[in-house]
Amino acid sequence: MTSGELFLQQLINGLNLGAMYSLLALGFTLVYGIMELINFSHFNVFMVGAFIALGVLRLMGLDGQNVILSGLPLVAVILVAFVVTMFSTGMIGVGIERLLLRPLRAVTGPAAMILTIGVSYILFNIILIGVGGDTRNFANPLPSVSWHFGEATLRLRDVLIWGITIVLMLGLTYFVQFTKLGKGMRATAQDPEAARMMGVEVDNVVGLSFFIGSALAGASGLIFGLYYNYAKVDMGFSAGLRAFTAAVLGGIGNVPGAMLGGVLIGLIEAGSSQLIGQAWADVIIFSILVIVLVFRPAGLLGRQAPNKS
Amino acid sequence: MAVTDILARPFASWSQQKRQGWATILVAVAFAIYPFLTDDDSNIDTIANAMSYATLALGLNIVVGFAGLLDLGYAAFFAIGAYYYGIFTAYQVMPHWSSGWEPLAAVGLVEKINQGGGDLVHFTMSFWLALPTGALVAGLFGVLFGAPTLRLRGDYLAIVTLGFGEIVPIVARNAESITNGAAGLNGVKGPTIPAWFGFEGYSFGVNATPYYYVGMALVAILIFSSIRLRDSRIGRAWMAIREDETAASAMGINLRNFKLLAFAIGASFSGFTGVFFVSKLQVATPEMFNFSVSSMLIVMVVLGGMGSVWGVVVGAALLQLLQTWILPRTTDVIRAIGETVGSDFLMSADLVQWTQMFFGVIIVIMMLFRREGLIPATRAQPKLEMEEQHADVKRGGFVNVDRIEKWHPGTGNALEIKDVTVRFGGLVALNKVNLTIPAGGVIAVIGPNGSGKSTLFNAITGLVTSEGSIKFEGHELIGLRPDEVLARGVARTFQNIRLFPKLTVLENVLVGQHCRLKTLPFGAIFRPPSARAEEQGALRKALDILGLFGNRLTPRANHTVAGLSYANRRRVEISRALASRPRILLLDEPTAGMNPNETLELAEQIGELNAMGLTILIIEHKLDVVTRLANRVTVLDHGDVIAEGTADEVQRNEEVLTAYLGRAHRAKIEAQDAAKETANG
Amino acid sequence: MISRRSAFKAAAGIAAAGTFAVTEGAQAADKTVKVGMDLSLTGADSESAIRVGNGAILAFEDANKYGEVPGIKFDLVKFDDGTATAGQYDPAQAATNARKMVSDKGFIAALGPQMSGAGKAMSPILSEGNLAIITPSSTNPDITDPKFAAQYRPKGKAVYFRTVTTDAYQGPNMANFLAKTVGIKSVYILDDSGAYGVGIADSFQKRCEELGLKVLGRDRLDPKAADYSAVLTKIKSLNADGLYYGGVGQAGVKLAKQVYEILPKIVKAGGDGIYGVELLKGAGFPAADGWYASNASPHKDDGDKKMKEFSDRFNARFKGSPDDYTLTMYVAARAIIETVKVLQAAGKPVTRDTVRDGLQSVRMANSLIGPVEFDENGDLKNKVISVFQVKKDASKPLDNMDDQFAYIGIAPMS
Repeated sequence: MTSGELFLQQLINGLNLGAMYSLLALGFTLVYGIMELINFSHFNVFMVGAFIALGVLRLMGLDGQNVILSGLPLVAVILVAFVVTMFSTGMIGVGIERLLLRPLRAVTGPAAMILTIGVSYILFNIILIGVGGDTRNFANPLPSVSWHFGEATLRLRDVLIWGITIVLMLGLTYFVQFTKLGKGMRATAQDPEAARMMGVEVDNVVGLSFFIGSALAGASGLIFGLYYNYAKVDMGFSAGLRAFTAAVLGGIGNVPGAMLGGVLIGLIEAGSSQLIGQAWADVIIFSILVIVLVFRPAGLLGRQAPNKS
Repeated sequence: MAVTDILARPFASWSQQKRQGWATILVAVAFAIYPFLTDDDSNIDTIANAMSYATLALGLNIVVGFAGLLDLGYAAFFAIGAYYYGIFTAYQVMPHWSSGWEPLAAVGLVEKINQGGGDLVHFTMSFWLALPTGALVAGLFGVLFGAPTLRLRGDYLAIVTLGFGEIVPIVARNAESITNGAAGLNGVKGPTIPAWFGFEGYSFGVNATPYYYVGMALVAILIFSSIRLRDSRIGRAWMAIREDETAASAMGINLRNFKLLAFAIGASFSGFTGVFFVSKLQVATPEMFNFSVSSMLIVMVVLGGMGSVWGVVVGAALLQLLQTWILPRTTDVIRAIGETVGSDFLMSADLVQWTQMFFGVIIVIMMLFRREGLIPATRAQPKLEMEEQHADVKRGGFVNVDRIEKWHPGTGNALEIKDVTVRFGGLVALNKVNLTIPAGGVIAVIGPNGSGKSTLFNAITGLVTSEGSIKFEGHELIGLRPDEVLARGVARTFQNIRLFPKLTVLENVLVGQHCRLKTLPFGAIFRPPSARAEEQGALRKALDILGLFGNRLTPRANHTVAGLSYANRRRVEISRALASRPRILLLDEPTAGMNPNETLELAEQIGELNAMGLTILIIEHKLDVVTRLANRVTVLDHGDVIAEGTADEVQRNEEVLTAYLGRAHRAKIEAQDAAKETANG
Repeated sequence: MISRRSAFKAAAGIAAAGTFAVTEGAQAADKTVKVGMDLSLTGADSESAIRVGNGAILAFEDANKYGEVPGIKFDLVKFDDGTATAGQYDPAQAATNARKMVSDKGFIAALGPQMSGAGKAMSPILSEGNLAIITPSSTNPDITDPKFAAQYRPKGKAVYFRTVTTDAYQGPNMANFLAKTVGIKSVYILDDSGAYGVGIADSFQKRCEELGLKVLGRDRLDPKAADYSAVLTKIKSLNADGLYYGGVGQAGVKLAKQVYEILPKIVKAGGDGIYGVELLKGAGFPAADGWYASNASPHKDDGDKKMKEFSDRFNARFKGSPDDYTLTMYVAARAIIETVKVLQAAGKPVTRDTVRDGLQSVRMANSLIGPVEFDENGDLKNKVISVFQVKKDASKPLDNMDDQFAYIGIAPMS
């Protein structure tokens, strides 16, 4: 392996990680953008999503690494898995918002954030007690197609994860920027009171943002499962924390920022694994986060908002 | 308050202080005799562990509860305290022996050992020395970790602290030469009490009881310190920052120093605990300090009541005992019942596995239905007597004015504003504004909404950056922080009232005195006579200032300001500004939202302040107030000074009339003038 | 979890039928002795903890049911050293549990803990109380190292026994095996940041250097991270012949999947941390195929049969297959039962003091993990390391350890 190939391969590795973090960061950033809420339950909605996807695939007869599909059946199976998973986690998100967070909407301070920590514990334990704590083998119906550049390898699943991430990001950007509901969301993010007066159904908008954010978490769970072929009850925290860091690094509340932050963190992680050691990756990631925030307190692409207090 | 209320009911005749005193003594005695009542060492140990978490919660409460800085990585400081003691007693870091170590050996900090090979240095730090120094080291790290976060808003602060919370255990895991990595330190010593005049010395070993008493002492010390800090200049400053950073800064609180102080003191509490905890456990592994611990500590603080000293102790103890004591015991009971009635379901019950689930549910329920926690920090508001409720509404300004020191305005100009420009991006909010306020005068600034009046105040008080020159009594103000501006003698009120809502009226006014007081943490905790005298002086002064408004504020001194009427909040804000003993007072629409009677009353009072020698700069819309009070009036429009002169003059200024008063009014004035002229002519 | 009632009845029935050595009174009442079991039942790893604990439950249930030690009934008391505060095992809670056992004179011995961090906190307390504990899985050598005796056994006698070898043998013997039997020339070493993984990888690395087996690098994985491809790419670029992984299943399962993708041809090996069902279930085939795993016991031909019998019994009772720490836990429980049996047969009182001394001299020539005897520090005397390799046998259940791990041979001692 030449150093050029090595670099290329690590670049691919970093972008894969980055795509994963970006996907998860989108949901964070969406909810934060609307409600200014750090949603810790997102970590475990993602995890629950992976388990729902695991179950759905199993119901369709996909278990373990033995069934490889291609063509229409593959597309159909994946589509069904996406729809079911995203709808289920979306509804979980709506449930959390409607039942638990809505009563707290008018409350200032960290109450809502702490509540999401509680919800996170509950989701974690539903899976832990209901399913168990062992690592679960996740079905892998993707054919092992790959392209070689010297000794560097680009696999079908790498391309898929980038493609899905980019599509979802573009879709979300389009939705937020150009649709009526999206405009309602942005208006709510700016000033819920004014948005309400201008006829925006704020409750629906917030509910919708939770639905979309949680559905994205579910999609991430499914993609994570397909990509790494496992699901485990504690998978949410580590991936979620980095995704959240990505959102903050890019400028929380900002859709392209989440993407940028995710990719940066993926590259940093791959780079530090190559050069220093993976065990130090978190130290490096958080150090960079601190340095960035000291100089740009609202993140790389965030609005340098005036002090709201 | 419900629980304590019910408990207190039979003792209603006692004073609150007496009740609290006795309750404290009762609790302390109960804890002190508990080890004699059980022969099960593990019960004592369980409570000792719960005490450790209580001390951690107390420390976190300083940061989160008092200062409002959301710290999600607090366990990092716990780890630092623990590893500090661990490393300096364990057989881990052992440099080669040289004669340079002998002085340290002489005082018992190190010993020479030989494990085959050369002589090595073994650190043997005493537990009793490690407690204060561990607190100090953790406190230093608190400053180190706090420093980069100072400019960050709440949520960003949360994520950065979370990052630090992740970094510290990772370093502990990977810096194997110092920490022995994942395997944990070997040979951490338990505390010993050295031999002393016939006392033969005592080694704590693995017996839980002595640790229990040390833990109890730690909890007591930290509760005491927390309460003393809370009820001091320092605690008030923290709470002011928590409630409203901008107003706190404008009221003379150095945000940087006091945030760092909160981080440092909070961290030092957990440094204490770390030393204690690791000496009891005699092992330290990186897993003991992960995010789970930090988040659980947040939950403890929230459950007990943020900012409530007793609350967080109860919250920590409850959660800790719930998982290590109550649920396992309940499981045993349920199983015993199951065996008796022959129910396989009950026999196989295991509540312990549901601990985290219970916690999740508890958090959710608390947040939905009882956010202030089990023992809320804000105290119940004493009800007012009938005659207290009705203010003695009379015109004629202040009462008991003689209790307030007069001002000596001096001569010349107090404030000289030259060519001040403020820009927000492309927008020029103030354009080369010039304004002079003579010492002892009252100058009014008027202008339509958005003309830059409040921006001018913000520029003077350092809340926005500006170009030009603002000199107060000859000293340049531009470039100073808001708290420095206040310390120079420039105090202000805000157009939209920025009090500290959860603080009482009295506390709000005491915050105003912040920059005139000197008490530091040492003084706050130990209250030497000087600190005591200062605090009493401040209290008296605050009451005197509140007393100016007759019985409008005095009976409500111990009420939180959130519940006050609009006019009373205005009065409190003026009192708070006066408490800083300003040499010039900047009032931003002080009568806005007041009814005509209240307006007249306040106008008279402002006039009286001026008569007492205080220089005043006032933004006001009500022309009668302006006319009545101001020597001169400056008119702003779109950031430009468009007119200057006496109230009468500017009212006749054409530009002012068009820009500010509107065409209709202008027509009216012109008609009046014409009428006058006709009459005269 | 424990359906003790049926066991009660059976044990009582047997005791009544063959009344034996009743100490006092006319009634044939069994003496109940308590055995504590400390496991990490809270947190993400609780499922494997339950599986480990089931080994002991099975051993004691059977002993009670068949009246194996006449006059003695075992009461296995579970303790959880995990707390919600720590989110996983918590040494402070382990210490509390140790005190709990020490305070109650009914406890004659203990089983656990799983983690060395917990063991370090428990050992001094147990030593003060002279209560012996047998760990099925904590392998950090410090706890039984005489160098640290003052710390971990202040009363002098060994109280921390193990039915696993410490990291000191598995790593080096696997290095011998890879260098001499497999014949690789270079190796890259990974560990999973845990006490076990770091220790075993360290000892492997040391031996490689002695053997002249080229160590191309050493890295540490974050067990909670999902993606190890960057590290594996680095290994790929170094053209390593072999990969050694010191650690347990948590990271091992993910590693196995990604090694299969990125380094399909590399020789891969690990310790007993991956010798278990988690690799088969979590990584599955083909990713698990080809992994070498060491285990600290000799493998006998009749072992297969005995193992099969144990697996069936375990499956009948708990619906699932045992993994390696289930075995060591089962054997640890058996060691206590054997000790009590010897004491009872000799007419000696069954107390924690006699049990501790008895464990020191207990001999089980033919346990599921081979001969079990403890040296004066509490470590296993047997240092034989067997090597297994995952070889897919599609005709058998794919998640059964005995069917899918093929015995290769004894790892060379030098």
